[in-house]
Amino acid sequence: MADVEMTPAAADNDWVRVTSDDGYSFLVRRKVANASETMRDMLDTAGNYAEAIARTCPVQQRGVIVEKLLEYMSFKSHYETVGPKDEVPVQEFMDRIPPEIVLELLLAADYQNM
Amino acid sequence: MAENVRGPMSALTEFLRSTGITPTTIARRVATQQQQNQPEAGPSNARPSPRRNNSRRDVDEGYASDNLDEPDSPPKKQKKDDDEESDEDAYTALSKSMWTNTPKPAVGSFANCASCEKQFTVTKYTMASSSGPGFLCHPCAKAGGNDPFKKPAAPRKRKVPAEKRTVVHIEERSFPTLVSVCIDVIARHIDDVEAFGDIGALNMDAISKALSKNRSLTSENATLFYGAENTKLALYDATNLSPDGFSTLGHLNPNLTNLRLDFCGPLNDTVMASWNNSFPNLVSLELLGPFLVREAAWIAFLESHPNLEAFLITQSPRFSLDCLKTLIENSKTTLRRLGLREVGKLCDEWLEPIAEISNITYLDLAEPSESLTDDAVITLLAAVGTNLAHLDLSGHSALTDDVLAHGIDPHMHNLTSLALTHLPELTDAGVAAFFGAFNDGAGLVRLNLSRNPELGTEALEAIIEHSGMTLQELNINGWKDVGEEAVNKLGGMRDLRRLDVGWCRSVDDWVVKKILEGCRALAELKVWGVQSCRGQVGGNTKGSEDTRD
Repeated sequence: MADVEMTPAAADNDWVRVTSDDGYSFLVRRKVANASETMRDMLDTAGNYAEAIARTCPVQQRGVIVEKLLEYMSFKSHYETVGPKDEVPVQEFMDRIPPEIVLELLLAADYQNM
Repeated sequence: MAENVRGPMSALTEFLRSTGITPTTIARRVATQQQQNQPEAGPSNARPSPRRNNSRRDVDEGYASDNLDEPDSPPKKQKKDDDEESDEDAYTALSKSMWTNTPKPAVGSFANCASCEKQFTVTKYTMASSSGPGFLCHPCAKAGGNDPFKKPAAPRKRKVPAEKRTVVHIEERSFPTLVSVCIDVIARHIDDVEAFGDIGALNMDAISKALSKNRSLTSENATLFYGAENTKLALYDATNLSPDGFSTLGHLNPNLTNLRLDFCGPLNDTVMASWNNSFPNLVSLELLGPFLVREAAWIAFLESHPNLEAFLITQSPRFSLDCLKTLIENSKTTLRRLGLREVGKLCDEWLEPIAEISNITYLDLAEPSESLTDDAVITLLAAVGTNLAHLDLSGHSALTDDVLAHGIDPHMHNLTSLALTHLPELTDAGVAAFFGAFNDGAGLVRLNLSRNPELGTEALEAIIEHSGMTLQELNINGWKDVGEEAVNKLGGMRDLRRLDVGWCRSVDDWVVKKILEGCRALAELKVWGVQSCRGQVGGNTKGSEDTRD
């Protein structure tokens, strides 16, 4: 496959695939994937990594962890741009994290640099 | 008028006083006006004043009408005093009320309108006539186009600029990271460890590192890592643990054998005293920054924990020779690893007790306040060098090639890891000669000779000749004059995993290419400060490249 070449407009809006260790696959907008610094670097077209060319980003975590990671990334990309007066419902997001997975999620988040 | 009494005065009062107008003179002038039936006071009313030629500044300004009556001498005296301090450009115009001559009648009294001559009641809104003396009734004032009720314009306040932008900035920065959200969730459930599921399957050490990264390890969530069955515990940033938290650590981990605490600044005498009864099985203690612990507390702790195998502390200005002697007395036969890094009181005398540790394999005495001397180090190495696998004597600026030739070379046959950074007395030829003869070819695994700008081509070629096949980590940071032919040989080191060639001027893209192609195991290459290296491989132009094979 040739190098990924995209116009800047398409670059933000295309879909990328995020896969988990146990075979789950998630399709998200690139904007959402960019919420993770690690993932953004992996998918950066300038870097010419295999992940960027295939537009697929494997995350070495269980599906349930990857799902929660992506939930946070959507949450972040959605609320990051809101005005200063609008409240970010962090508390609600926190309530949606079951304590059973929080330690695993912490490690995954640390790796994803977010 | 009490001339000696001065207090806050309005500009008008000050002006009137300076021009010699007092209540007395006003009253007299009003009387004069009425007598002459002249509505307006003007220059016609003035008569040549004997004071005309005085130095009073208002004389030339045409306010002669105010000089009708000569004031008494006190105002004049006052005037002279004021002249010295008053500004030449002071505001000297007459206020409007002066033109009207007649003071405003009291509020509530009756007056005749100056325009329609009807009687009206004076209020605080009553306005003076603009055309002549006297006051206007309300209808006339309004008819004249003035609004009697108009309030004086409030002084405008300046807006505080750019406030909005600051708020946005703070908002952006405070977006919670997923790590911080997770830490909050952990804190919420910290009293119910079972809620976290099967922790055993997870790498608690990695979690400890993740928590330490943002300095979020606190007395509360540190209990996550505690447990009676724990034998090893490492906290990588204990800055936010309180002294009580450290004591709790002692109570909740009774079976610890290995304890490592980085940035343990709050650790103090009280904690050490409480630890005297904790950790009965402790064999390895590693502390970074226990600078509050005093001599007596160290001694008591070391006496209560005999038979240590490893004692490694970094940065303690209070650890003394007596503490060291106590350690040796209690752990002489078992001690394998000793680290007294950045210990301020370290000196030659300390080496005598250290020489008693016959089985020592790891010795770190780096970065002292004052350097050890050649003779003392050679004597020490003659005594304990045989088993030493790791030696760090960095920062002992008085050490010379003699330590290599007479200390390390003849006595240390099991050395695999050597760090001798920042030793300005080392010479290129001396280091080259040492590696030419050392150990009959049993190579080193780790070698750090950074910050020794005198070392160069000869030394590096000897190192590669001696340990090229075994070295996994090599640091020659700061060898500014090392030659190109020598650095080109770096590519032949097959096992090299970490290499730092920062500030070596002869390193360029071609050398880096050879290293990356030749060292197949390379995991990290640092090229900070190498001007001629453009760094295409990682696309990182900062001078540092991390590459994987």
